[in-house]
Amino acid sequence: MSILLSRETRVLVQGITGRAGRTQTKWMLEYGTNIVAGVTPGKGGEEVEGIPVYNTVTEAVVQRGAEASVFFVPPAAVKAAVLETIEAGIKLIVIVTEHVPTHDAMEIRAYAKGQKVRLLGPTSPGIITPGEAKMGIMPGNMFTAGRIGVISRSGTLAYEISGDLSAAGLGQSTVVGMGADAVAFTNMPDLLELFENDPDTDLAVIVGEVGGIQEEKAAQFIAHHMTKPVIAYIAGRSAPEGKRMGHAGAIIQGSMGTPQSKVTVLQEVGVEVAEYPLQIVELVRQHLIHV
Amino acid sequence: MRLYEYEGKGIFKKGGIPVPWGSVVESAEEARRVASEIGKEVAIKAQILTGRRGKAGGIQFAKIPDEAANVAQGIFGMELEGYKVNSLLIEEKLDITNELYMGITIDAENGVPVAMVSAEGGMEIEEVAKRNPEKIVSMLVNPLYGMRTYEAINLVRQIGLEGRALTSASRILSQLYNVFVANDARITEINPLVRTNEGKMFAADSRCEIDDNSLFKYPELKDLRIQRIGNPWERKGVEGGVNYVDMEGNIAVMANGAGLTMSLLDMIKTDGGSPVCFLDTGGGLSEERMRNAVSLLLKKTKTDQCIKVILVMVRMMISPPDAVAQGILEAIEEVKVKTPVVVVMRGRAPYEKRARELLGNSAVSLCSSVEEGIGKAIEIAKA
Repeated sequence: MSILLSRETRVLVQGITGRAGRTQTKWMLEYGTNIVAGVTPGKGGEEVEGIPVYNTVTEAVVQRGAEASVFFVPPAAVKAAVLETIEAGIKLIVIVTEHVPTHDAMEIRAYAKGQKVRLLGPTSPGIITPGEAKMGIMPGNMFTAGRIGVISRSGTLAYEISGDLSAAGLGQSTVVGMGADAVAFTNMPDLLELFENDPDTDLAVIVGEVGGIQEEKAAQFIAHHMTKPVIAYIAGRSAPEGKRMGHAGAIIQGSMGTPQSKVTVLQEVGVEVAEYPLQIVELVRQHLIHV
Repeated sequence: MRLYEYEGKGIFKKGGIPVPWGSVVESAEEARRVASEIGKEVAIKAQILTGRRGKAGGIQFAKIPDEAANVAQGIFGMELEGYKVNSLLIEEKLDITNELYMGITIDAENGVPVAMVSAEGGMEIEEVAKRNPEKIVSMLVNPLYGMRTYEAINLVRQIGLEGRALTSASRILSQLYNVFVANDARITEINPLVRTNEGKMFAADSRCEIDDNSLFKYPELKDLRIQRIGNPWERKGVEGGVNYVDMEGNIAVMANGAGLTMSLLDMIKTDGGSPVCFLDTGGGLSEERMRNAVSLLLKKTKTDQCIKVILVMVRMMISPPDAVAQGILEAIEEVKVKTPVVVVMRGRAPYEKRARELLGNSAVSLCSSVEEGIGKAIEIAKA
């Protein structure tokens, strides 16, 4: 089944009665996602697109067997809702919500550590297993089923690059938006590991960007644990320095975080780095021919 | 959002961290009054949102109130690191024996707070990290439990403190952590943490940044944040709900999505063009947001003659083409500038068809691919 999500996955939508929740539920259903329930406290008993709405996550799990959840919950309510969802036994949580307070994100991450749950986000566009299901806001028409795994920090670039791959006849096994916040719930190496172990994926594409240490950590993982080829693209090479870059985070990591350092460490472990998004298609094609 | 030194010291003081006696002033006369209240030699410190003010003359000393007024007068006229000085912090001058460093920030890899201390205080910690990384010791903190007393002591011991200095410094570190959490900070930093002749410790400076995502909890800061954005275009961007960053070049670039916009800038540069700004409209485009964004760029071209062309790339996912196209045309109608506008609108086939109907016969050049749009923009910019 690719990774994380298939057409069988029983999906819960939290914040289903809000504007974004309603619209995206409709589109997820149209795409084929097996949505079994929604949750909005105080709206239990209603229906959205024919999907029953519950007051609590536990009800949705007990009555409808929900096993994965996608969040359209307002930022200030995310922390409490995630803790509720983990306690209810949900195994996969995708946080689409933007602007989640950073301290809440840190607490959520610490709470989830050691528990059997996979969290993506915040500010994640979601996950899509093309031709099967999607959780989140990715536009389904940009993706086609295939054997390339894509991990992206940016939403829009994930769509663009998957669209380019699709147009070239190169389908995707699963496309994962990990979110662009300073604190990510799941780091890039963990997602690479899932693709490495997935029999339906032949090659992984990393779409990175300036700031943080995700790509550097991915490079370390690739050097020691990846047997499948990895192609990368790093956005923001022309971004001016000091803008929206977390300086203090960069102190402890030394020179990590600049686009050039990311490109260099990836190339050092044998990853080919595309100069522009469309070049990813060429690089992927060359690799697949060699395989 | 970065706070001024005096604001940071205000929250330090509330958190129990000792700070020098002093007060913020906005005129030389007030400076004289505060200096005479303090009744001893004072430090006069320019309040600007950057750390590099000492070398530029933004920190001076005065022995008597008249001198304090004169010095203050001089600093009020200065522009430091591009910031005009509007307020000064007047503080008692301390007799310092040594300077330490202490800071709490976020460790991006582990997604938890990290505490750092160093015996090399008073200089930029980024420099220490580069030259003598071994002089900084750090520790990750579990946000669910907070910083425990023994953890603070263990960390501070590693920079060679003993006895009373050890207990004072570790107490201040715990308090600094509590301030970090209580104020939703991304950074709380004391540099330098000074030790006086009498063996007391004070936060002689403060650096605090509050998490922008948490500003809804601090309505008084939320408005200030916008007012304090120095660059007028970046400020207008925030007001209009878009992300704007100024650069130097001649092609104004906007797109929907930060990653997409960044990659557009990269491609333009690779192809020999020169982008003048980054404008990311974010998702869920409305006609209004589109109009705000395009009119921001058009207005900018009025003041910056270097700008030759505006490149607009919209990936239509949720937003229907009518709203996007209408927003673009309204902005052009509203801001009467002749700057050429190159538009790329991509999405489902019916969306693209509709975009062609709406914009095909208008003043904008509609391109069917990103590559074509970039080529066209660069061609116009070079002509």
